[in-house]
Amino acid sequence: MPTSLSSLDYFRDSYEVRLAQLNEKRRKGTKIVGTFCLFVPDEIIFAAGADRIVLCGGRTDTIHLAEQYLPRNICPLIKSSFGAIVDACCGGNLSCPHIQLVDVVVAEATCDGKKKMYEILPEYVPTYVLDLPQKPESSEAIDYFLAELRKFGGFMEKLTGNVLTDEVLKREIQSSNETRKLLRRLFDLRKLDPPPILGSEILSVMQKQFFLAPDQFRQGISRLCEELENVIPEPRSGRRIMISGCPMAAGNTKMSDIIEQKGGVTVVEESCTGTRSFWDLVDENRNPWDALAERYLEIPCACMTPNDRRVARIVDLAKQYNVDGVVYYTLQFCHAYNIERLRVQQALKKEKIPMLAIESDYGDSDIEQIGVRIDAFLEMIS
Amino acid sequence: MITLGIDAGAATTKTVLLIDREIAGYRVSNTAFDFLTAAKDLFSELIAASHIDENQVENIYATGYGRNTIIFANKAISEITAHAKGVYFLFPEVRGIIDVGGQDSKIIIVENGNVTDFLMNDKCAAGTGKFLEYTAKALEVSINDLGVLALSSNHPAAITSMCTVFAESEVISLRARGIAKEDIAAGLVSSIAQRIVVMTKRMGLKESIAFVGGVAKNVGMKVELEKELGIDLFVPFEPQITGALGAALVAQGIWREGPGS
Repeated sequence: MPTSLSSLDYFRDSYEVRLAQLNEKRRKGTKIVGTFCLFVPDEIIFAAGADRIVLCGGRTDTIHLAEQYLPRNICPLIKSSFGAIVDACCGGNLSCPHIQLVDVVVAEATCDGKKKMYEILPEYVPTYVLDLPQKPESSEAIDYFLAELRKFGGFMEKLTGNVLTDEVLKREIQSSNETRKLLRRLFDLRKLDPPPILGSEILSVMQKQFFLAPDQFRQGISRLCEELENVIPEPRSGRRIMISGCPMAAGNTKMSDIIEQKGGVTVVEESCTGTRSFWDLVDENRNPWDALAERYLEIPCACMTPNDRRVARIVDLAKQYNVDGVVYYTLQFCHAYNIERLRVQQALKKEKIPMLAIESDYGDSDIEQIGVRIDAFLEMIS
Repeated sequence: MITLGIDAGAATTKTVLLIDREIAGYRVSNTAFDFLTAAKDLFSELIAASHIDENQVENIYATGYGRNTIIFANKAISEITAHAKGVYFLFPEVRGIIDVGGQDSKIIIVENGNVTDFLMNDKCAAGTGKFLEYTAKALEVSINDLGVLALSSNHPAAITSMCTVFAESEVISLRARGIAKEDIAAGLVSSIAQRIVVMTKRMGLKESIAFVGGVAKNVGMKVELEKELGIDLFVPFEPQITGALGAALVAQGIWREGPGS
């Protein structure tokens, strides 16, 4: 392993700072919103004077608790998240106690598994569900989503007692765009060959995005960018891999870890814990609501149909980051991403970019089997 | 140059000794618990039988599930690469490989000995040697007899379960209904063959296919696969050693190598 980057220490220490901040804020009456998805605009939550943390679970130890209530054959992210909530609400200590910091969950109608889980959630925590059109390119979709966002804005106003003005919303859009631009800057550095930072190091930073306060997160990313731009770090060499697919929520770094233990290096993640969270900016020159609706509907998630733009995005990223191969990573039983694999594979084949599909859960039982596949894939693209 | 290839498989360990590009000897045995002991024993046997000195072996490469435990090997490579090289050595005209081993099954696409794509089964025993092993036990026959028995069936029973554990119970319920042994055997062979055919077709393989791995020794499986695919398969004289052979060939330094582990 190359010597560690000192700015990564900032992220390691940031957790306790943020936890104290959230507790303090809550004591003073700030409402804390828990979310599960990039489709819920942070800007609206922050503009209403609330704070937010993302509750997606990446740990395996809460899954068995969820299986007391949910079917076994649904994705581990849903089970892990739900298990953590059940555990925390029943006085357990298996999971980090984030759910207890939350006044309300703002959920979203994305995949079937999540939608149905959200129906059970109100037994444990107040839950609001933001609806999403399924065909984002249809002419009615944007109008419908805009109305949904405004309704959500109204909900946030009622929750916090604050008025959500266009002015404040614009300020929050600028703030979120600033984060997105910084992440672009960070990801641009990974285009270097060899890249100055490992994918597993980036992933642990990206996972923090969903817990830290925006300014706290930006400070860390700025430091990291500066360190990578100014100090010449030891290069991280190996075959250049893109991971594309399901989110890798905090606690789950399995795929990145295996790839890099086997001698590859992940240079970009087409994922909610990768490019999907920051790639597109919100237009600051338009009515903030229209701009938000448009930008958020463009998120290339497999729950949308048709989803040609995701396929195009993957091919584009593969070229921009000059990858040697793509690891198409899906969580077990995630139908949307699993089925979309075929179209991605066809598109990559046309571009002569090798792809390996891996479906896995949060357990350790298949680490060796995945290792064999990664070994063979790296040998194949050498 | 003398090289040794070791395929430390989940069920069996295979070794091949190469003197230049000639196979000087090979051994196959059960892995039992310890990959390393199995490999060491076979190495000693092979050395003794070939009348060469251990020190004359210049390069040792390991492959297979236990490849990283073979500490006396100079390098470990994946079995996908190893099979591709081994099969290419035996049948240069082959475009694809069906390898069905004890723990997994895989389809490998090869071009001049290089892997261009591959597909492995999900992380369960369906479509592997384990499936045959367990279900043969439920039929109270040996795994080899299962294949021979299957050939004598005129009315194969339908085995609907792909899951090894459920297939075992399905076999028991078929027995309880008085279905003939050979018909159940044929049903089992056809069930695993179909699984492999799906993987083969998914990879777009149509012809020039080699069938290797322990399951390729099963005559019933070969016949069933050939029927389903509508082609004749290339089966090596000893289908279990292609991985070890490939490792020994790569150890000869013939191919440009990957990162290894």
